[in-house]
Amino acid sequence: MEVIIGLIILLPALTTGGLGLGWLVGLRMSERTIARLTAGCYSLTTVLVIVLGGLMGSNRLDTVRLLIGSWFEVHTYRFPLLLQIDLLSLPLVALSVIMVGVIGAFSQRYLHREGGYVRFFFLLNLFGTGVLLLFMAGSFDLMIAGWELVGLTSVLLIGFFQQRNEPVKSALRVFLVYRVCDIGLLTGVAMLHHYVGAATVDRVFTHPWPDGASLLTGTGATVVGLLFLIAAMGKSAQVPFSGWLPQAMEGPTPSSAIFYGALSVHAGTYLLLRSQPLIESSALVSIAVVVVGVLTAIHGTMVGRTAVDAKTSIAYASMTQLGLIFAEIGSGLKWFALLHLCGHIVVRTLQFLRAPSTLHDHHRRYSASGGMPSTNGAHFELLLPIGLRIWLYRLALERGYHDTILERVLVGPIIRVSAWLQYLENRIAVALLGPSEHPIYHQSQPGPSGYAVARPEEPAGRVRVDQPRAAAVNGVEGADV
Amino acid sequence: MSEPLFFPWVSASLLLLCVSTVITSFQMTGIEKARHWITYLMATVFLLLIAAGVEVERSGAARLHEPLPRWGQWAALDSLNGLPLPLYAGLALGMIILAPRRKVTSGWLAGIQILTLSTIVAYATTNLALFAVAWGASVIPFLGSRFFNRRGVVTIPRGAQLALIASTLLVILGSVLLAFGTESSQWSTRLSLGLPRHGQSIVLSLAFILLMLGVILRKGLFPAHGWVAPSFAQGSLIPLNLLFNGHLGAFLIARVAIPAFPEIAAAALLALGDLGLLTAGYTAILAISERSPRRLLALLAISQSSFLVAGLESTNADAIAGALVHWQVVVVATSILTAVYTGLEARLSRPIDGQEFLGLGKGAPRLAVFFALGGLALVGLPLTLGYAAEDLLLHGTLETHPHLGIILPIVTALNAFHVMRLFTTTFLGQPVRAAQTITDALPRERWVLTAAILFLIIGGLYPALFVHLPARAAENLIHSVTRIGP
Repeated sequence: MEVIIGLIILLPALTTGGLGLGWLVGLRMSERTIARLTAGCYSLTTVLVIVLGGLMGSNRLDTVRLLIGSWFEVHTYRFPLLLQIDLLSLPLVALSVIMVGVIGAFSQRYLHREGGYVRFFFLLNLFGTGVLLLFMAGSFDLMIAGWELVGLTSVLLIGFFQQRNEPVKSALRVFLVYRVCDIGLLTGVAMLHHYVGAATVDRVFTHPWPDGASLLTGTGATVVGLLFLIAAMGKSAQVPFSGWLPQAMEGPTPSSAIFYGALSVHAGTYLLLRSQPLIESSALVSIAVVVVGVLTAIHGTMVGRTAVDAKTSIAYASMTQLGLIFAEIGSGLKWFALLHLCGHIVVRTLQFLRAPSTLHDHHRRYSASGGMPSTNGAHFELLLPIGLRIWLYRLALERGYHDTILERVLVGPIIRVSAWLQYLENRIAVALLGPSEHPIYHQSQPGPSGYAVARPEEPAGRVRVDQPRAAAVNGVEGADV
Repeated sequence: MSEPLFFPWVSASLLLLCVSTVITSFQMTGIEKARHWITYLMATVFLLLIAAGVEVERSGAARLHEPLPRWGQWAALDSLNGLPLPLYAGLALGMIILAPRRKVTSGWLAGIQILTLSTIVAYATTNLALFAVAWGASVIPFLGSRFFNRRGVVTIPRGAQLALIASTLLVILGSVLLAFGTESSQWSTRLSLGLPRHGQSIVLSLAFILLMLGVILRKGLFPAHGWVAPSFAQGSLIPLNLLFNGHLGAFLIARVAIPAFPEIAAAALLALGDLGLLTAGYTAILAISERSPRRLLALLAISQSSFLVAGLESTNADAIAGALVHWQVVVVATSILTAVYTGLEARLSRPIDGQEFLGLGKGAPRLAVFFALGGLALVGLPLTLGYAAEDLLLHGTLETHPHLGIILPIVTALNAFHVMRLFTTTFLGQPVRAAQTITDALPRERWVLTAAILFLIIGGLYPALFVHLPARAAENLIHSVTRIGP
């Protein structure tokens, strides 16, 4: 069984490496070859997962572990390469390999003759490796590796249509949210080492999932639990870090399906489920998880109703369900949350994959019903007073003003502080060395990504030396590479 | 415990470097021919120093000295310099190959040789005076108009030159005080580099302060970081990259400050570690409102390399080893970024101002991949060596700096965003006209950059290969502090 665990992670990794290396050395592979390679890899992996599940069931095992060794060690610190499959990870690993395989098969036709076909499949396979590493990691340290690979591939696929500026800007924005929230996971794992002395699942919890209790309690559990919650909120688009999800729809539909319908967006819920005993041991964290989940569910369902395109609408529906899963985890309903999670993955992937055919589906349904389709839902909001309804409508239309608030309260001040510091530094340098020695760079226009903003107003008559001076000094006007 | 090396690797390397410096300085051949010669000589030096590193790795001895009968003790190899020596030689070799043709003049090549020679001497020597001289010699090519300047224009600002000169004077003065403050009748003992100096006399304390001020200036730690960004903005990037990535400041801390002042180091170095973290955070915040790619590169380099100081000062084996591994990552990754950026400037015939998306990835996809991988490895991408370094640094630093240590993950996150911003504005977005016709990586660029990326990826897949020596060095350093310290 240990060999099977190793193969499950090795096959996608080898496929990714093969595609990447092939591209780098200039090997030209046909679309069909690439798609077959991916399909073959994930078909085989699916069989391996089924066999493993069967063996675990027949031997009544709830956990299988593979300790490959220490990745590196210094003094008393060791980074164990420990993979494990238990009752939590088995269904998710199974769904992962199936979903990546399905998306690969779908993309073969969907991206036919699209520029970046190889890049898409390379990133899809890298994502497959990352997500399997995330779900199969036997330690929180190793989980970080999978977590970050999932985040990176997600960002690169949002910017898949790289010759347009908007997808690139969206990718950058999503990357920022991911990285900010990843601080929670990085610090949380470091704190686990500090409090427990290890970060392997079997050292942090008493028993395998779902019966384990946390060995870390009290303040330590609260600190680590809250840090993990921040990480999960970013990955699973929970309020107030939810603004990135509709922007992530800039990527091709198959990637939206696998990332924001199926797997990536559920990574946060997986982290919370994995650390559920830790959450359970702290009332504060449990309450926080429920509150975040409920708020997100309300936000998602409200905004989703005002969304004007199919993918955004599905994204908010997905956010709503994720909020509910958070609330279930915070309430201690582990099995229910896992079931909900698996069901949601399947349904949402189907919805995303059918999104390009929404109109076609609608026409078919319309015809099938003889031109009289049934009304969809009871619309209880009609019971609210009209003033409140309009207010709520505007709130939903503006997506809860989350992005505006975050930008004004958090991002704006940081950028202003940065600009002030730059301005101050330049003033000091000019005062010390004279204007000719220290160029002040004019930054009155926002950069292409929108993050480098205007610096505070400079006094009139200040000497400025712009880029052309640097150009002249560098003498880079020739093109002799 | 000191044993002789199998072969005088370092002396032989320095001899070859001297020969190549003579070839270039006296313009004995045409420039292209000289470049070829120097490439071959540097490749030999690189191989010699790799062999030296392998010998250090294989021997269990704490220190190996050159086997020359009379002068053999001038240089020694141990777990601390076993990796930086070949790494720096490899870096210099790579930079010579990657430099755009129009940049390469005989003066430029001579400057690179002097820089490489002095840095290798500083790494290898056991003599304090020689170390101080090498420190100063590495600055010389940046002072006059003989080496890295074009058309008589000085490429780095006067403030930067002053900072480099001041750091040299401080280190020389600190070394003199250190030698005089040591209680010994023999000069060889007084000038020994890593010898513990007992007591807390005023002279020794003053020597420590001067040396640390020299480090702060050279490494560009807050508030002396101001010289780095303008130098990168105006100067020739490749030599500056070599100067910055020598990390002689960090090396001085590990080689001199910690072993020589164990009593002072145990208490005072924590403050310097905090300064390192502060610098990392401050420059990462500065970078938010920076658009010029050259300045952004400089701020990234300062921010990420400040972790070295934070890690080395932490008196924690994980953090010290993490800092030494991070050293390797910073050297290779920032060099990839610098080399790719320099190549792009040469292709575009103008500096990039960061005002618009350039979409250069359309014409140069391989350069884009090299840039992205190098940049992401710098900020700890999993499956690269950067991840192992970040993991070790984070654990160690949070243990010793529980409050300020939180800066590290925040700064890493910010720097990752800066790397991504630099990558997207340069390589993604609607392609400018030049992007349609731009040349992708040339064969010489491809080979060198692939080797650099492979180093990072192999290091990420099998980090024990590059963590083992730093781990040994970390244990030695911890031992030297705890042996005498509180």
